[in-house]
Amino acid sequence: MTATDGRWRSVAAPGTDPDLLAAVVRRLRDVGPATLAREARDHAASAGGDPPATVLRRVVPPVLPTGERDDEVAGTWAGLGVRVALVGDPGFPARLAVGWPGTGGPPLLAVRGSLAPHDGPAVAIVGARRATSYGTGVAAWLAESAAAAGAVVVSGGAVGIDAAAHGAAADHGTVVVLGCGHDVAYPRPHTVAGGLFERVLAGGGALVSEHLPGAAPVAGHVRARNRIVAGLADVVVVVEGGPRSGALVTAGYAADAGVPVLAVPGDVRRPGSAAPHLLLREGAEPCTSPDDLLAALSLAAPVGPDGAAPAVSTTLPPAVHRVLAGAWPRPLRLDALAEQAEVPAARLLALVTRARVAGEVAEGADGIRLTRAPR
Amino acid sequence: MVTVVSAVALVGLEASRVVVEATHSQGLPGTRIVGLPDTAVREAAERIRSAARRSGLGWPEDRVTLNLAPAALRKSGAGFDLPMALAVLGATGKVPREALVDLWAVGELGLDGTVRPVPGILPMAAAARDAGARLLLVASAAAVEASLVEGLEVVPVDSLAEAAAVLQGEQAARDVVATPAVVTSGAPDLADVRGQTVARRAVEVAAAGGHHLLLSGPPGCGKSMLAERMAGVLPPLSMDEALEVAAIHSVAGVRAPDAPLSLVPPFRSPHHTTSAPGLVGGGSGVGRPGELSLAHRGILFLDELLEMPRWVLDALRQPLESGHVRIVRTQAAVAFPADVLLVAATNPCPCGNLGSTSQACRCAPDRVERYRSRLSGPLSDRIDLQVELRPVDPDRLVGPGDGEPTAAVAARVAAARAVAAERWGPGTLNRSVPPAAVRATCHAGAVRALASAVEQLALSARSFDRALRVARTIADLAGDATVSTDHVDEAVAYRLATRLAAT
Ligand SMILES: [Zn+2]
Repeated sequence: MTATDGRWRSVAAPGTDPDLLAAVVRRLRDVGPATLAREARDHAASAGGDPPATVLRRVVPPVLPTGERDDEVAGTWAGLGVRVALVGDPGFPARLAVGWPGTGGPPLLAVRGSLAPHDGPAVAIVGARRATSYGTGVAAWLAESAAAAGAVVVSGGAVGIDAAAHGAAADHGTVVVLGCGHDVAYPRPHTVAGGLFERVLAGGGALVSEHLPGAAPVAGHVRARNRIVAGLADVVVVVEGGPRSGALVTAGYAADAGVPVLAVPGDVRRPGSAAPHLLLREGAEPCTSPDDLLAALSLAAPVGPDGAAPAVSTTLPPAVHRVLAGAWPRPLRLDALAEQAEVPAARLLALVTRARVAGEVAEGADGIRLTRAPR
Repeated sequence: MVTVVSAVALVGLEASRVVVEATHSQGLPGTRIVGLPDTAVREAAERIRSAARRSGLGWPEDRVTLNLAPAALRKSGAGFDLPMALAVLGATGKVPREALVDLWAVGELGLDGTVRPVPGILPMAAAARDAGARLLLVASAAAVEASLVEGLEVVPVDSLAEAAAVLQGEQAARDVVATPAVVTSGAPDLADVRGQTVARRAVEVAAAGGHHLLLSGPPGCGKSMLAERMAGVLPPLSMDEALEVAAIHSVAGVRAPDAPLSLVPPFRSPHHTTSAPGLVGGGSGVGRPGELSLAHRGILFLDELLEMPRWVLDALRQPLESGHVRIVRTQAAVAFPADVLLVAATNPCPCGNLGSTSQACRCAPDRVERYRSRLSGPLSDRIDLQVELRPVDPDRLVGPGDGEPTAAVAARVAAARAVAAERWGPGTLNRSVPPAAVRATCHAGAVRALASAVEQLALSARSFDRALRVARTIADLAGDATVSTDHVDEAVAYRLATRLAAT
């Protein structure tokens, strides 16, 4: 005889006990996450060494049977296709479970999409909502390169740097950590049909949240979200952020957990460069190219099957591709490219447009570069 | 007894016949001018009476009435002095009446009887020829310009006395010494420009299709060098075009009346502090052509475009689209042609050093964005070719120029223009061809490729047809009858440069 109806069974991630899940949700609703976390820590202090499931069973009174409001929570999650895992369960990211409850991590994670594999390399790319075009450009560049090299990109779901990182790596599947419930449309531009979140899900990524349905994106939630972002990553890169940026909070959580923090140097005249520059002063490693990031992740730039032969571009002739690959990741001015590849300007301009439409090259004030690391 | 001499009124570029009628009758001595004269014409009474007396031709002691018909037409300027004086001389019998039949005259009189030229002789002479004039009397200094009009006998006169003597048959009319037309531009050679292969290509496409061009880059990267050399790349004007251009310059008073006709397309480079009427036209009365019209059928070079006041950028939009400037005044609305190829240059930022390898940019980033945003939107949309220049590597500045010479580029431009003229009609540039007509010459695949590029690269809707026109020019340069995907792709690249550089 179980306490829960079928909805809890369909919401519980594989390996997660639906009854315990229902009990944890009831407790979270009744006393809030802070009290639950304190109770779990108190228990762990007195009886250290218990696995997370045991800790939860001790501090959470069983629910028998579930009430109407509990079923409503399960129904909302089920309606969105969300699966919920409890800490320590197979569906719960192992990184976040290590040291729980001492780490202050969440007892449950509601996941929309697929959150696997989470034992592979992961990088958090975080920064300001009010980002410059330089910042979003660098975030996209790093995210694209990291994803191409096999790392999972993790970030918040905010506009600005977060969105740039997800947008560039969406095809590889990224992890968006929400600061609100799954049913709350925030930030609105990302939740609409065809928006960023839909792209992330379509690309095989995931939206994750520690919150029950209906939880609003209040400031406390958004800051607390950053501990999950940091907890899911092997490396945290801070691209842009003001002196009180949430990116600094993420970097702080990362430093506490011994996760390396990289900072992208910014324009010294911009207030939005304060956070990365502060981190650099405090000893963060500078990140000035995807190579720096891949080195921190102990990943090599992707190579072809035979290790060296450059991939053949679908739109660029070999001569042009070779010159761009040689300059990568630095951009090259069109005049220089035309000269080095020995292609007339007229022909090169046509080629560049085609490669831009195909997404093979990106163009900026300093010229063009390949969007992906040459292999 | 009424005598008649023909004169010309000029409103804008429009010259119309004015019939000057003179009578003298008994009454108190005096001279009346009727028929909507302006102040300068009204004051002519003093000038012509003094001129006639000092020339020993006398002046009636009774009442003289001069009527300028049609009365509805506003007459302005001093060009009516000579025809009015001749009409009075006819009325008093000092000049034989038959000598005044189909006689036209234009000129200002000094108090001593000297005949001086007035602006706008060229369109006036053309109007006289079209109206069937037998003879046109003008100041000697204006005779060369008047004689540019074929099929008209031009008689140069230095004084009212000489005019009377010629009409009396006492002195033979002097011949006008025609000067051959100027055909070569004094523009420096493109061979001097090193590197800048992309910008050079843009210059060639701009010249071939008449597309507007924006050169963006730090000082010293060669923007002005390229712009000045563009004049030499344009093919010479046809005779009719040259006359049209000369007429505008004549009306504006910027043309020496004894200058030979020039077949070289005009190159105007007004400073960014030029006044509103100076740039678009206007001023007192019905207004004069501004720099936009003075550059008609040639190049208007605006250096430091983003230093120009906002209204200038706004005022440029409509003429760049329509090819003419409309000036509305209380007396009249005048349209001046302004079919120009705009070549604009701009620094990449307020201090000019953004992107420079030798000088550091001192501008705050938000200031750079504000500066750049002035170009955004409607004006930027109309500048089809936009290229970013960077200073050439100093190593390349030694030794002789390594660029292709002007003559080679000009030959390709002329060939492309000839192809376009054959397709659309003489003098029609790809710049001003209706989109549907251009689309009819494109491969279906090219149109699809353009549509996808416009969508993928988030270009404005207006960009579509404009890029297609540029693609047409690129095809003409390549000698291809049909616009292909390659042509379209190159055309799109020119729209992207500065937009992307701003981000
Ligand atoms: Zn600057």
